[in-house]
Amino acid sequence: MTSTISTRNGAANTTANIKQLFSRYKIMALLIAIAIIWAFFSWKTEGGFVTPRNLSNLLRQMSVTGILACGMVLVIIAGEIDLSVGSLLGLLGGVAAILNVTHNLPLPLNLFLVLALGLLLGLFNGYLTAYMRIPSFIVGLGGMLAFRGVLLGITGGLTIAPVSSDLVYLGQGYLPASFGVALMIVLFVLALALTWRQRANRIRHALPVPPLWRDALKVALIGAVLLAFVRTLNSYDGIPVPVLLLLALLGLFSYITTQTVFGRRIYSVGSNMEATRLSGVNVQSVKLWVFGIMGVMCALAGLVNTARLAAGSPSSGNMGELDAIAACFIGGTSMRGGSGTIYGALIGALVMASLDNGMSMLDVGTYWQMIVKGSILMLAVWVDVSTRSGR
Amino acid sequence: MSEYLLEMKGIAKQFDGVRALDGIDLKIRAGECVGLCGENGAGKSTLMKILSGVYPHGTWDGDILWDGKPLVAHSVRDTEAAGIVIIHQELMLVPELSVAENIFMGHELTLPGGRMNYPAMYRRAEELMRELNMPDINVALPVMQYGGGHQQLVEIAKALNKKARLLILDEPSSSLTTSEIAVLLKIIKDLKAKGVACVYISHKLDEVAAVCDTISVIRDGKHIATTPMEELDVDRIITQMVGREITAMYPSRDHEVGEIVFEARHVTCLDVDNPRRKRVDDVSFSVRRGEILGIAGLVGAGRTELVSAIFGAYPGRCEGEIWMNGARVDTGTPLKSIRLGLCMVPEDRKQHGIVPDLSVGQNITLTVLKNFSRGTRIDGEAELKTVHEEISRMRLKTASPFLPITGLSGGNQQKAVLAKMLLAHPKVLILDEPTRGVDVGAKAEIYRLIAELAKQGVAVIMVSSELAEVLGVSDRVLVIGEGKLRGDFVNRDLTQEMVLAAAINQSLPQRTRTATPSTA
Repeated sequence: MTSTISTRNGAANTTANIKQLFSRYKIMALLIAIAIIWAFFSWKTEGGFVTPRNLSNLLRQMSVTGILACGMVLVIIAGEIDLSVGSLLGLLGGVAAILNVTHNLPLPLNLFLVLALGLLLGLFNGYLTAYMRIPSFIVGLGGMLAFRGVLLGITGGLTIAPVSSDLVYLGQGYLPASFGVALMIVLFVLALALTWRQRANRIRHALPVPPLWRDALKVALIGAVLLAFVRTLNSYDGIPVPVLLLLALLGLFSYITTQTVFGRRIYSVGSNMEATRLSGVNVQSVKLWVFGIMGVMCALAGLVNTARLAAGSPSSGNMGELDAIAACFIGGTSMRGGSGTIYGALIGALVMASLDNGMSMLDVGTYWQMIVKGSILMLAVWVDVSTRSGR
Repeated sequence: MSEYLLEMKGIAKQFDGVRALDGIDLKIRAGECVGLCGENGAGKSTLMKILSGVYPHGTWDGDILWDGKPLVAHSVRDTEAAGIVIIHQELMLVPELSVAENIFMGHELTLPGGRMNYPAMYRRAEELMRELNMPDINVALPVMQYGGGHQQLVEIAKALNKKARLLILDEPSSSLTTSEIAVLLKIIKDLKAKGVACVYISHKLDEVAAVCDTISVIRDGKHIATTPMEELDVDRIITQMVGREITAMYPSRDHEVGEIVFEARHVTCLDVDNPRRKRVDDVSFSVRRGEILGIAGLVGAGRTELVSAIFGAYPGRCEGEIWMNGARVDTGTPLKSIRLGLCMVPEDRKQHGIVPDLSVGQNITLTVLKNFSRGTRIDGEAELKTVHEEISRMRLKTASPFLPITGLSGGNQQKAVLAKMLLAHPKVLILDEPTRGVDVGAKAEIYRLIAELAKQGVAVIMVSSELAEVLGVSDRVLVIGEGKLRGDFVNRDLTQEMVLAAAINQSLPQRTRTATPSTA
């Protein structure tokens, strides 16, 4: 019986197996994609792409999109979208520059004010979406125009420069080599402990436990990646400050999404809002705070961006929302809400940044860069869609 | 010409290595109605999806002979061309389009230039409506103006218009009222007389017994028996379906009823789209501690609106007072209600019950998740312990609480939704159609659970369209008709006829018939 089925449906089974493999090991697929992209650019640039200097650059370039993607992935999981983040990033970065250059505010106060403003504007977006019931697409579209308009107004269309060196450190600073080594050790021990705890939990609940060699290999791989990461960055100038910030956000947001009540509710709201509401969850407040967090991420991204450029520019953050959204979708976030991961979104951001960086090194025209990035986004989502609905 | 219109032989289908169907045979003569029975998850829907071409030829094993010739269908279009039409449980109508436009969906009659030939379509649609004994339907009105029962008839008209020779009806009566079901069964008998064959899938075995000539029972993807109806009765079908005898469907009612714990006073709900229309009109009632109150009525009578207004989930405007334990309370949102100990299991499991991307366990703890948090973190251990307790208490069948809830059968999904609400420790529990789309075995378990809750002192309000269920479970029965309270009976010597009479009392359905709009 089984043999007749397998012969008759042999071809169908092979495709099905490939699809299954893809959906189960999506992250592996993404990492392979990155490896291919990097290999291609290294070959084309004769190794220039993988020098410590360029990789350090690449990660710094990625940080702004990555910070936005951390917030955006929550918004998309909750079943919404925020198109205003690029403009909001620009506005908050501009405000930071003005407070710094024109008003000479001390850095801590400046940071506090910009982050608070980001939170407020984010909550405002959330209020319009969750409580006033304006579709988030429209709220975002409106914000995209309005925030950019405010930015143009307060800067008078001029670049605000030069910002003070302590603010610049946020975007261009490097951490000492010893810090990098310490960080590597801490992260490795953490990975070891988490894997161990996961195994123990699975054994306790009589769930299938992956063979020991596979977990050992996983931890060894993480260790190797950490070692390569820190050694590469230390052999240039050390870990850049924005990259450290991004790592911290990765940890924080992964914790929020997997371990907290609020995180569970974000998935629940995005997956079936009505059922969640009828289960006694205040779905409006969940959405409100998701947008609030998005606003804070815009503030962080705006600060880093201004610091990186050492100036507040009226056009900064332009199209930033598209990079962030693309990063989420490339990283496997579901378009209808309810599923997605932080690390996926960050790997998506890395894909986008690698394409940008590599093509710039090859002196590819801006128009080609846009075409390639657009195509990659559609390709990634197509792969996602076709493996998801496979039955 | 073979003896059978349709022969399915040795049908087998696997999903991800799990065998859903295992060598099923099904034979149907022209003009015969075959009842396909089986518990949820037995494989009925899968079999019908194979027959109707939803799963194309080659994705399953076995042979289908249609009129004695092999049928190779790559899509639903191919089977429809052959004359096999399936009517799904969820209606496939576009609510904004007119009855006639829905009937001709995908097969529109056109004039030169691709314009819609409305006059011809209206004429044919009206003809079909007369054939179905529903001449009152205005085929130019949008489908959404009609209730679920009439929409079902539109689906059948749509199938007839495709020259169906075999009609597959998947749970056609799940949202129909008793009188509408009678109409549906009569239509099927008429169709049989005209030589149209039917496959009738339903959990309501009295309907199956009334209309089918042959009963095929499948269980766990295997063919159990095919028997002429004359040799069967409902009890024997149930025995074949579950593979064991269900001795007592309804639990004994020996719980004690205490003081009044819940009162609804003057509840009125306005229609969402048309605020001049009252969906619920000044309804007041009370429930006692440990009492099971059944709410009966025709579909569309306003029962769901009433209970969702009480729970704070009605989307439109509503008025009225809710009193619990002698004090007036605010149940403006589901969150407030649940905090007061007033919980509801909604009617539409898929839309309002389950969260599809969460696991079985995560669905169960959705309402009380805060109880498991220490600081910001969810205590996974404590959560899992509770989930395991609930799974065994509800006798919920799942391989693991970490599996997605969408993989469970309807009955088990319903148990998970019930468990979710029971974790909130309700004092008053509203159940809206708690056994819709649930198989016989799970039904009995849900009834047992309701009785157990009442024994513990929970006041249960159960809305149901199945009169047998209302009478089998409730201590007291409210009857709602056209948004008004039509009766309040103690369930002693109460009969289905008495409830039904109260429900349809002075309420001949009004239907405003407007002139056909000139669209062309």
